[in-house]
Amino acid sequence: MQQPLIEFDNVALGYGKRVIQQGITFTICQGEYLGLVGPNGAGKTTILRAILGTISPLQGQIRLGSLRGSLPRFGYVPQRETLDAVLPYSAEEVVMMGRYRSLGLIRRPGSGDQAIVGKSLDHVDALNLRGFPFKDLSGGQKQRVLIARALAMHPDLLVLDEPTNGMDLSSRLAILDLISRLHRETSLTVIMVSHLLDDVANHVKRLAVVEPGLFQIGNVEEILTDANLSSMYGMPVEVTKVRGRTVILSGGGKEHD
Amino acid sequence: MIEIVVLLVREFPFAFFGSMMVGMLCAFVGVTIVAKRVVFLGAVLTQVSVLGLTLTFLPFFPLPHTIGSLLVTLVTVMILSQLLTGKKIPRDAVLGVVFASSVAFRILFMQKAARVDVAEVENLLRGDILFVTPDLFYVMVGAFVIVLGANLLFFKEFAYVAFDSETAATQGFHSRAWDLAFYLLAGGAIAVATHMVGDLLVFGFLVLPPVAAMLLMRSVKMIFLLSVIIGVVSPVIGLILAFHFDVPSSPAIVAVSFLILAFAWVANLVRTR
Repeated sequence: MQQPLIEFDNVALGYGKRVIQQGITFTICQGEYLGLVGPNGAGKTTILRAILGTISPLQGQIRLGSLRGSLPRFGYVPQRETLDAVLPYSAEEVVMMGRYRSLGLIRRPGSGDQAIVGKSLDHVDALNLRGFPFKDLSGGQKQRVLIARALAMHPDLLVLDEPTNGMDLSSRLAILDLISRLHRETSLTVIMVSHLLDDVANHVKRLAVVEPGLFQIGNVEEILTDANLSSMYGMPVEVTKVRGRTVILSGGGKEHD
Repeated sequence: MIEIVVLLVREFPFAFFGSMMVGMLCAFVGVTIVAKRVVFLGAVLTQVSVLGLTLTFLPFFPLPHTIGSLLVTLVTVMILSQLLTGKKIPRDAVLGVVFASSVAFRILFMQKAARVDVAEVENLLRGDILFVTPDLFYVMVGAFVIVLGANLLFFKEFAYVAFDSETAATQGFHSRAWDLAFYLLAGGAIAVATHMVGDLLVFGFLVLPPVAAMLLMRSVKMIFLLSVIIGVVSPVIGLILAFHFDVPSSPAIVAVSFLILAFAWVANLVRTR
């Protein structure tokens, strides 16, 4: 049995008096790769914020497991569209921000931090980008830099919010492969939020589906069934395999086969 | 030209060095203000500080001018920090409301300032830099040391929160508190500087040097450095020109900053072609 990192116990989440999700109970264990999917506005980001501890539950309890005698460290990768870079921070400077917490107040980064930044960029195959302004990078390059920044935090959990949003197909696949590789090679616990079911279906091991007022979690095979998805989305949905990859067809998908 | 500089240093040392200090401080703080896309907040705070200054001429607010201006500005920053996070009214609309009402109330209160005549109040509010008093100069030195010192000490925290407050919060940085701290420091600098050199010069320094530096420099550190250099150089050249051509000093300094910005824009255009 793997060590539990986060436990949601009958949690209700929302803002003010508005409840967005309730009755959420699940556990995330060390070494898991969990996908959190659902349409925009269903409450994925709210659950993510609760996991990260930036909002408190309206009801229930969120417990964090203890690793090496301390609480788990999060490496967060935000939606890159939320970053409005006016100043030309270099990729290296952006990754260095991941070291700021460890540095504490006032202290400046040292050679050890520089080495960690270089290693993190190297880990995501972005060492060649270190001197380039972050704001001038492509979507895929920016995402690599943000993942490197999260890795520079030495996280126990890597939490990614819509990492493939707005990317072309090749960049999307490259980023998903990179995340899978990080999970595989370092046994890093990964939580990935996406509104694209196809994106996560072929990469994660467990899946949580978030719909307005509904939360379902299980292994990918349990969640991705025709009947389950059709009832969840209120329209015919077919789950099929093409060259070993899971493909989700919605609406009139069957007629095109 | 050298004679003018010698004359300025001899006859108006507080104006000369004070305007350089204000230029340096506002140009430094202005980089973050421009990067956060809250330039309008800079304009609003200059007007609020002028309103605070006006209030000190009224019998029910008998505080020293600088204290009154500082108090009203800092209280406004605290209130704005709450109002600007709401979703009901757009952020720029909130700032617009504060801007318009600050100017209106300033005019109304000025009419009722019985202690002195309107021309005297206007003169003070305009911030005639050639008549900076030693007391005001030393207050500015204090503000300069505190605001610049805090910005340099906590540079990485302010930079992180300005760049990505959400991720900073997941790492335990209290983003809203850091934001508030930055705005309080900026508000303090703006209040003291506006009292000393007037709203035009302060707002000009908050915007023009940072934008010129952003056009010319490709690293964040160099942007801060060049912005500060422009903030120091502009008042020196502006004061020389104001003396030479017998024109008002504040607009002359802002015009110099604008010419530097225009040069930066052309240089950037040539470089990117």
